[in-house]
Amino acid sequence: MALLSTRALTKRYPGVTALDGLSLELDPGVIGLVGANGAGKSTLIKILLGLLDATEGEARVLDLDTATDGAAIRALVGYMPEHDCLPPDVSATEFVAHMGRVSGLPSGAARERTADVLRHVGLYEERYRPIGGYSTGMKQRVKLAQALVHDPRVLFLDEPTNGLDPAGRDEMLALIERIGREFGIAVIVASHLLGEIERVATWLVAIDAGRLLRTAPLSSFTERTGQLLIETDEPADGLAARLVGRGIDARADGRTVVADLGTGDGSEFGIYDAVRDEAVALGLALVRLEHRRHQLEDLFRVGGADERVA
Amino acid sequence: MSASPETVGTIYDIGYRHYDGPRLGRRGAMSAIVGAGLRALFGLGRSGRSKILPWGTLILASVPAGVAVAIRVLVGDLVDLYSYENYLWGIGALLPIFVAAQTPELVVNDMRHRVLPLYFSRPLGRLDYVAAKLAALSVALLGLTLLPVLLLFVGRVLAAEDLVAALGEAIGALPAIVGSGVLHAVVLASLGLAICSLAGRRAYAAGAVLAVFLIGGVMSGTFESQGSDLASFAPFLNPLAILDGTRQWLFGGSVAESPVAGADVPLATFGLATFVLLGISLAILAIRYKRVST
Repeated sequence: MALLSTRALTKRYPGVTALDGLSLELDPGVIGLVGANGAGKSTLIKILLGLLDATEGEARVLDLDTATDGAAIRALVGYMPEHDCLPPDVSATEFVAHMGRVSGLPSGAARERTADVLRHVGLYEERYRPIGGYSTGMKQRVKLAQALVHDPRVLFLDEPTNGLDPAGRDEMLALIERIGREFGIAVIVASHLLGEIERVATWLVAIDAGRLLRTAPLSSFTERTGQLLIETDEPADGLAARLVGRGIDARADGRTVVADLGTGDGSEFGIYDAVRDEAVALGLALVRLEHRRHQLEDLFRVGGADERVA
Repeated sequence: MSASPETVGTIYDIGYRHYDGPRLGRRGAMSAIVGAGLRALFGLGRSGRSKILPWGTLILASVPAGVAVAIRVLVGDLVDLYSYENYLWGIGALLPIFVAAQTPELVVNDMRHRVLPLYFSRPLGRLDYVAAKLAALSVALLGLTLLPVLLLFVGRVLAAEDLVAALGEAIGALPAIVGSGVLHAVVLASLGLAICSLAGRRAYAAGAVLAVFLIGGVMSGTFESQGSDLASFAPFLNPLAILDGTRQWLFGGSVAESPVAGADVPLATFGLATFVLLGISLAILAIRYKRVST
C-alpha cells in the first residue's frame, strides 16, 4: 500500500503560493523531506494531516483521502510540529498520557504506553516534573513522545532537531532511525539540513518553492558517479595532461584531477595503474584517491539537479 | 544511541511494543478532554492552592442551603430564608468568580502555548474540542447552580415530619430546580469560555470575565436606581439578571432583589436575550477555533 500520494497538490495564500502542483507517490520507509525554509515542507505536512485544506489537487495518506477521511487519517498518524507546543505547568507523564487518551487510547493503555514511550525517547526522572523547567532537548523528546504514544502507522516530524545541540541532534537522529527501522513506523521527516536527512532517510523528496525537485532513493542521490577523484599536493595540470595522453578522459581543477573510470568493465584497474605510474614519473605526492560521489547539495545548486521534474 | 542513564539499571530492554487494543476514536478523545477539564477546573492533581477557589466557591454556594435546612430543623416553618426561586440570585456573585478564576485554566494555555495543533492532528474536530471544553465547564458549574438547591430540596424533605407527604408536595419543584440549574450553567459556561478564548493570558481572561459581569452589574444598578426610562433596559446589561428573567419566564417565581422586577417588559424578552447571548457566545467560539492557525 502506498504510504502517501498527492496529485497536483496546490496551496495558495494571498500573495504566496506555498505548494505548486505537487505530485508524489511514496512507499513506507524513512522519507526525508528536504527544502529550504519556506519551500513548502510544513504546508505539505499540514495538508496531509488535514490541518489545512488544499486549494487544488488531492492528497491521500494510507489510501485515505485527506479531504474526506481526515479523522480516520489522524487516528493513524502522529505529528511533531516544528514550533513549541507544550503547556509548561503539567508534567511530561501527565501530558503524554492525556494526549494518548485524546488519540483514542483507554486510560490504562494510555498510562502504560506513556511509560514505554518516555523510556524510548530517553526521559527518566524528569518526567514527573512540570515541562516548563525542561531543556530544549527534553522538550523535543516530549514532543516526539506525544506523537508516538498511540502507536501510529505514520509519523510526521517537522524539523525535529530544531534548537538542539550537536549531541542532542545525534540522539534525535538515532531515535528517528530506530523508529523507522526497529519500530516499523513509517516516518516523514522534514528538514532544511541535508546533512541530517542524509543520515536517517531511505528515500528523499526534495522540494523548492512548492515544486517537486526530485524524489528518489537516498542511494541514488549519493551513488558513485563513475569518476575518480585524485588529489595531489601540487597543481595537477601536468598529471591530467599525461593521463589524457594515455587516452583517459581527465580534467584538472587546481590540485585535483577528475578522471573518468569508464563503464566498470575492469578497465579502471588500468587507470589506477596509470595514475600511480604518472604520479611517480612527475614526482607528485598523492593526497587522496577516491570514487567521486554525488553530493546531496548538488540538488540545490543552480542547474545542479540532474533534471527538474515537472 | 550513546550510553543512556538507564543502561546501568535496566534489567530487560523489551524493545518497542505495538498497541493492538481498542481505540475509542472521537468519543474517547472528547471524554478525555472533559475529564481533564474537570480535573483542571477543580484543581485535582494540582497544588493545594489551586483547589482553594473552586472548592471555596462550591462550599460557599452550599452554605445557605445548609443554614436553611438547619433552621428548618430547629425552628420549623417559621422562617424561610431561601426558596428554590431566589437561591441562584442569592449566590449570584459566586458564579462569575468561579467562571473568572477557573475557565482560563481550561482554554488559555492550549491557545497560548500552541497545543491546539496537537489536538487538531488527532481524531477529533475543532468544534468537538470546543464542545468538550463547554461540557466540562457546564458540569463544573452545575456544582454551584444545581447541587446546593438539590441539597436544600433534600434537606427540606428529610426535615419534614411526614416524609412521603413532603416529597409528594415538593417533587413538583424539581423540574424548575433542574431546569434553572442547567440554564445558568450552560449559558454562563458558553459566555465565560467565549470571553476566555479571546484572551492571550490567563490573568487577562479572568479580568475580562469579571469586567463583563461587574460592569454589567454596576451599570444595571445605576440605571435602575435613577428610575429613568432606562430602568427597563437595566437588567439586560447584567448576564445574571438576564438569566433570572429567563428563569422567571420559564418556571415562574419572582425574586424581590432581582432587577427583573423593575423592568417594564414581558418576561419573554429575557428569554430572547438569553438566546441571543448564548448564540453570540457560541458563534465567537466557533469562529475563534475555526480561524486559529495551526
